[in-house]
Amino acid sequence: MSPSLEEPSRPKAVVELKGVEKRFAAFTALRRMDLTIREGEFFTLLGPSGCGKTTTLRLIAGFDLPSEGQILIAGQDVSNIPAHLRPVHTVFQNYALFPHMTVLDNVAFPLTVRRIGRAERLERARAALDLVQMGSFAARKPSQLSGGQQQRVALARALVNEPRVLLLDEPLGALDLKLRKEMQAELKAMQRRLGITFVFVTHDQEEALSMSDRIALMKSGEIVQLDTPTGLYDRPANAYVADFIGETNMIPARVISQEGDVTLVEAMGTRLRVSGNHGHVAGAEVQMAIRPERVSDDMRETENSAEGVLADVEFIGTDLRMVYRMTDGSRVVMRQQNSGRAVPQLGETRRLGFRQQDLRLFGR
Amino acid sequence: MTPHSGRQGWFVRRVVHGISGWVTLLTYLFMLLPIVVLIAFAFNAGKSTVVWTGFSFKWFEKVVSNRNILDALQVSLIVALASAAVSTAIGSVAAVAITRRSFPGRDVLGAALAAPLVLPEIVLGVALLVFMSFAGMILGYTTLIIGHVLVSIPFATLIVRAAASSLDPRLENAAADLGANEWQTFRMVTLPQLMPAIFTAFILSATLSFDNLVMSTFTSGVGTTTLPLRIYSMLKLGITPEINALGALMVLANVTILLLVMGRYLPLMLKTNRR
Repeated sequence: MSPSLEEPSRPKAVVELKGVEKRFAAFTALRRMDLTIREGEFFTLLGPSGCGKTTTLRLIAGFDLPSEGQILIAGQDVSNIPAHLRPVHTVFQNYALFPHMTVLDNVAFPLTVRRIGRAERLERARAALDLVQMGSFAARKPSQLSGGQQQRVALARALVNEPRVLLLDEPLGALDLKLRKEMQAELKAMQRRLGITFVFVTHDQEEALSMSDRIALMKSGEIVQLDTPTGLYDRPANAYVADFIGETNMIPARVISQEGDVTLVEAMGTRLRVSGNHGHVAGAEVQMAIRPERVSDDMRETENSAEGVLADVEFIGTDLRMVYRMTDGSRVVMRQQNSGRAVPQLGETRRLGFRQQDLRLFGR
Repeated sequence: MTPHSGRQGWFVRRVVHGISGWVTLLTYLFMLLPIVVLIAFAFNAGKSTVVWTGFSFKWFEKVVSNRNILDALQVSLIVALASAAVSTAIGSVAAVAITRRSFPGRDVLGAALAAPLVLPEIVLGVALLVFMSFAGMILGYTTLIIGHVLVSIPFATLIVRAAASSLDPRLENAAADLGANEWQTFRMVTLPQLMPAIFTAFILSATLSFDNLVMSTFTSGVGTTTLPLRIYSMLKLGITPEINALGALMVLANVTILLLVMGRYLPLMLKTNRR
């Protein structure tokens, strides 16, 4: 993670983790984590299951206490403050609506426990239900709602008391694809409108990319890279990030020499120029990464090219996904917009172009 | 499968089906016939509980005007309600604590509350009587209620424990997350979900107390004769249809309570468990 990405003068921190570690018996779920979440941002903790993202969320919510380190919310040290006294609310994956209460009573719950008067309580609960377009379901019981509707009610319940931070634990995990896409757009729009800080946990990289202002990609209890979606996608810090976010061609390569700001490598049976000094010594075996949509057959702007045989074509509608077998046997996937041109024939040999700034090198 | 064995299978199925039908019928007869006969002879005009001589309500009239029976009924009702209330209260608190908290001696408490279930009631009764006379307690309502609580508390605890352990702990997490302290979480989230089980525990405890004979024999005093004790002593003077009439009334009361519980709480319990 490059230090230039941290801009301390900009929006103030609302959640801070300082050297937070969480151990469960012999298992360390979180290793010395430092993290700053800024006021009003849509922040996502992304990673495969068991990477510590949900543990991080539970520590912020107060369901678990850190084994070491400090947690600050709005500048206040909450490390030893129980969950019910923290200015954060959570939307759970299973919704966790109270089955014996009506939808309205569920949404009013955070106000009821704060002894807010009945009239104000109901008015605010109704307003929150209207916000998620569930106003007409106020009298129902949770068991009479569909999954998507329960999700909306859970959201209204978590928002009704206007928390400083809203924590969302894979809230869309149980919804079907179409509903999921709708809710993604709606959540994002709602976050912008309300200006509340959202901390979102997901294992779905597409979801993370489309919704977040910043993403912390985690792996076995540590943050691998903290960046904007474009930063993660275009400038992955290592092979793990490149592989986890989107599709990536990983091509074995050998470093030949370093010439100023360009690294010369041998790969796919030819020599290629790669932008940047990656600090690899001559002769080092590395992985060369390039996104499928950055591979092109237009040679005008490319410094590098290599020949390959078309081995497979997949028609995706908007795109064509083509798999080439290069002369050294490595596979390269190329993604091209469906512009109406004739689909190339299988077995055809073609020259592919690789711009030097689109290539990245990672140690093996 | 060959057609022959298929037909054989059909024959076996048919026989099993036929036998199981008869077994079921006989089981029901065995269980219910004595009660049906008992109720029928409550309407007998004669003094016999075996020979039918005509239809009459006179034994019912006799029951409801029998001072001894009415007194015993009153004692039984007071003891049943009081002991059920105590059992259910202690049992519920203990059940929630055992399933929801971890504290030293948790397993011991769980075992202690279930122990009366496996100890012979007569041993419990004798032990309690010895202890009470040692402590200088006078036999009466208090001793009766204590004895009945001892009998019903394992059942009350087990029923509420089963319900408490099937509760979703995530709901309590959610309540805390939304700002509820422990007491609010218990009162607004945990308790309402346990209500059907607590009600069932109360009804069962009251029924156990109302039926109890053994424990009452040791713990009742002068003037606190329960209904089962009264019936038992009436039997010593010879059986008349008056006992049948009393039995019929008790069956009626029990069935009514059962239907009330099933009608009101069974659908509710099924619904909360489905989730």
